[in-house]
Amino acid sequence: MSALLNNVMKNKVVRKFASPWRLALLVALVLIVISVVRRITGANDLTSAGLSSATLRFTIPLLMAGLGGLWAERAGVINIGLEGMMIAGTWIGAWFAFLHGPWIGFLAAAIGGALVGLFHGILVVKIGIDQAVSGLAINLLALGAARYLSGVLFIPNGGDISVSPMVQQPGYLTVPGISSWLLSINGKNIIILSDAAGVLAGFVTEISWATIFLLITVPLSTWILWRTRFGLRLRFCGENPIAAESLGVKVYRTRYMALAISGMFASLGGAYLSLVASQVYREGQTAGRGFIGLATVIFGNWRPSGVLAGSVLFGLTDALRVRQPTSIHAALLVIVILGALFVIWSITRGRMKTASITAAAALFIGFIYIKVPIIPNEFVTFFPNLATILVLVLLAQKLKPPAMLAVPYREREEGH
Amino acid sequence: MSAIVEIQGIEKKYPGVVANHNVNLAIKKGEIHAIIGENGAGKSTLMKILYGMVMPDSGTILVDGKKVIFKSPQDSIALGIGMVHQHFMLADNASVLENVILGSEPTSFGGVIQVDAARAKLIEITKNYGLDINPDQLVAELGVGERQRVEIAKVLYRGAQILILDEPTAVLVPQEVDELFRNLKDLTSHGLTIIFISHKLDEVLSIADDISVMRAGTTVASVIPSKTNKKELAELMVGRELPKRREVSTKPGLEKILEIKDATYVTPDHREILHGVSLEVHSGEILGVAGVEGNGQSELIEMIMGLVKASSGNVSIMGHDISDSSSREIRDSGVGYIPQDRQRDGLLMSAPLWENRILGHQATAPMANGFWLNKAAAKKDSERIVVDLDVRTPSINVMAAALSGGNQQKFIVGREMADKPSLLIAAQPTRGVDVGAQALIWNQLIEARLAGMAILLISADLDELFNLSDRLAVISGGKIVAVLDPDKTTPEQLGLAMTGEKIA
Repeated sequence: MSALLNNVMKNKVVRKFASPWRLALLVALVLIVISVVRRITGANDLTSAGLSSATLRFTIPLLMAGLGGLWAERAGVINIGLEGMMIAGTWIGAWFAFLHGPWIGFLAAAIGGALVGLFHGILVVKIGIDQAVSGLAINLLALGAARYLSGVLFIPNGGDISVSPMVQQPGYLTVPGISSWLLSINGKNIIILSDAAGVLAGFVTEISWATIFLLITVPLSTWILWRTRFGLRLRFCGENPIAAESLGVKVYRTRYMALAISGMFASLGGAYLSLVASQVYREGQTAGRGFIGLATVIFGNWRPSGVLAGSVLFGLTDALRVRQPTSIHAALLVIVILGALFVIWSITRGRMKTASITAAAALFIGFIYIKVPIIPNEFVTFFPNLATILVLVLLAQKLKPPAMLAVPYREREEGH
Repeated sequence: MSAIVEIQGIEKKYPGVVANHNVNLAIKKGEIHAIIGENGAGKSTLMKILYGMVMPDSGTILVDGKKVIFKSPQDSIALGIGMVHQHFMLADNASVLENVILGSEPTSFGGVIQVDAARAKLIEITKNYGLDINPDQLVAELGVGERQRVEIAKVLYRGAQILILDEPTAVLVPQEVDELFRNLKDLTSHGLTIIFISHKLDEVLSIADDISVMRAGTTVASVIPSKTNKKELAELMVGRELPKRREVSTKPGLEKILEIKDATYVTPDHREILHGVSLEVHSGEILGVAGVEGNGQSELIEMIMGLVKASSGNVSIMGHDISDSSSREIRDSGVGYIPQDRQRDGLLMSAPLWENRILGHQATAPMANGFWLNKAAAKKDSERIVVDLDVRTPSINVMAAALSGGNQQKFIVGREMADKPSLLIAAQPTRGVDVGAQALIWNQLIEARLAGMAILLISADLDELFNLSDRLAVISGGKIVAVLDPDKTTPEQLGLAMTGEKIA
């Protein structure tokens, strides 16, 4: 028995040490494949600084929505209202930025989003309204409220019923020295090295301070959820609220706080859209990103780092679509090659089922690559959703959603 | 030794039910004190009062001689009382350590958990008391016995000196029970006190230092194991002489009700579970099926009920081949079924009792009236069952989950016999129920047999098989290896047959 336990522990330790190396190897491999494909196809945008900074801009709103979803779901509540909370963020951010500058805009969006989240919390936790119904109600309410308030406040200030006046955006950071150095390497067209420099340059050139602050919330979320008392109690509210309550955890209060944080994140994502990505509030600006945020939570296996990975995947396809549609065609070749490598790896591991599914998918994409010279935008938009579905199909056994996700919980009545 | 916990004159009423009435208990430090009683005798309510989950209407609790009032579990935890719940309160998706420290996390500035300090403390506890658990393992990977040790560690981590264990052996296999008992002895040797709630008399007699008996919400006796026996305890629990089991013996009828001919069942992954099983059950006969669990009993039942299809051979009921019939057709043709897992297969736990009465009878009169369900008939017959089978419940409108296990089982028995089926499949009909409910269910089966019902009784309880069966079929390795006359067979012979030995 104890020998068995020792083994388990050893394996865990080994895995911990191995994973950063494997990650580095994986990144290097992907980079090599992209670099080679860029050479072959001449799709130079694939590793440009412009693409990586655009990817970042598209990623942040999704990441915030995803983290919002994660915080709510870890406490056991599904937040279908993320989209509405993002809408609230776009509007509140724009209005307060118009009045007092961008940072006050972000602050107001955070507070406003937290209040909307808390409202959702009171509806589902205390009153016991169905989580999906309450979420949808918030989405509709936010849409209507934003339009109404735009009429009242934006029109007299030079805006429109669906557009705010222009607002100022937060400042940018370009790391002196490193940025220009990376850009110069990128310009020299050395295989792999220039590619790596190009991608990295996007992260140190004209990066918004807002981007930096919001990115920090990823490790911060991990740290709070897995290292602090508050995080432990919050996760138990999602895993086994009865057990949590029996040990003195206030389940309702914890869930309120989780939903306030959830709303705050979603709203910050919205404010990022109106303040950094476009410097103006526009109706429909969120374009379903709240729902994509929910998908990234599943894609990311209910972990902040996973949500980041999912958001980058969605953000990257958005960036490719907007910047240079031809590079999407090249990106297909990257997927085919990576897929082929994954098939080989799976075969060596004896995972025939995974190998055959991946091979079929890779062949299909390869067929499209050859037959369809210009990829329709619809397919590009759909691609990350397809990836999420594939993750669900292939990894369903390994996904670990909170056990009591979306199950309503009633606190014990006093003295009963 | 003085009493560490004293309970005096505790009263607790719920709407329509007196759960506790004039309860008195004295528990000595360092002993294992068993509290026994039928399901619904008030043991669990009393323990909830002692753990602060429920406030009593009146009465006093003394801990270490001082009067205390518990408003919440936190109050009782603070005085060193801990509860090991019957249904584990653990999160699968978290580590053992996280489950243990929840609610009592050692933290430094800013609420950061001091993981290393917590782990060290837990390891010290597990070493001291010989609890074999690994702090960093995920709870999802643990077996039932290990989960129970985690629950015990949880209580010890909070510094409990008095542990309440609510029916701790209900979910354990025999080896795990032995390990639990070793752990409990270890704990008392360190000066801890254990309150052990159970209705299993053998266990109580073997582990307890002191036994208190509860009946109908009150404490009726306090005895020590060396000066009593099973029969006396059982009588104290139910408050009357146990009914004679085989009161009447008449010859079974000749009409073949159930006939299984050379039936074989092979699973989709090609494991042969049943090999050429042949059985007959006649009207007015109880055929007992004995066997070590997992020798094909479940599949045999599922085959008769149409839940799985025989790979070869056939099953007929009253001369009709039902091998290709659906479960509903089989039930409608006059078959009652008491499933072995009442909570999974027998009831909708979150539906009211009267809705549960309809289950399995939803397509035939009187529960159905053409397309519509007959709610009035369901309610009326539920009331009848509650009275006839002494189902203890505040009303027929409460959820099935609100009833204790024995009362759930009595309700199922009443439902399955309501339509006077010609064949009754009774799988483990008294598993996990107290002696009072057991006697009642046994009487129901015997009366039904006298009235001409054919009963197939599958049980792991040898007493039950000997007391009820007219014939005993022994199943081993998916084959019927012997058919015995219970009057001419000793339990030893039956035991040998169950392990596949030939009887000379």
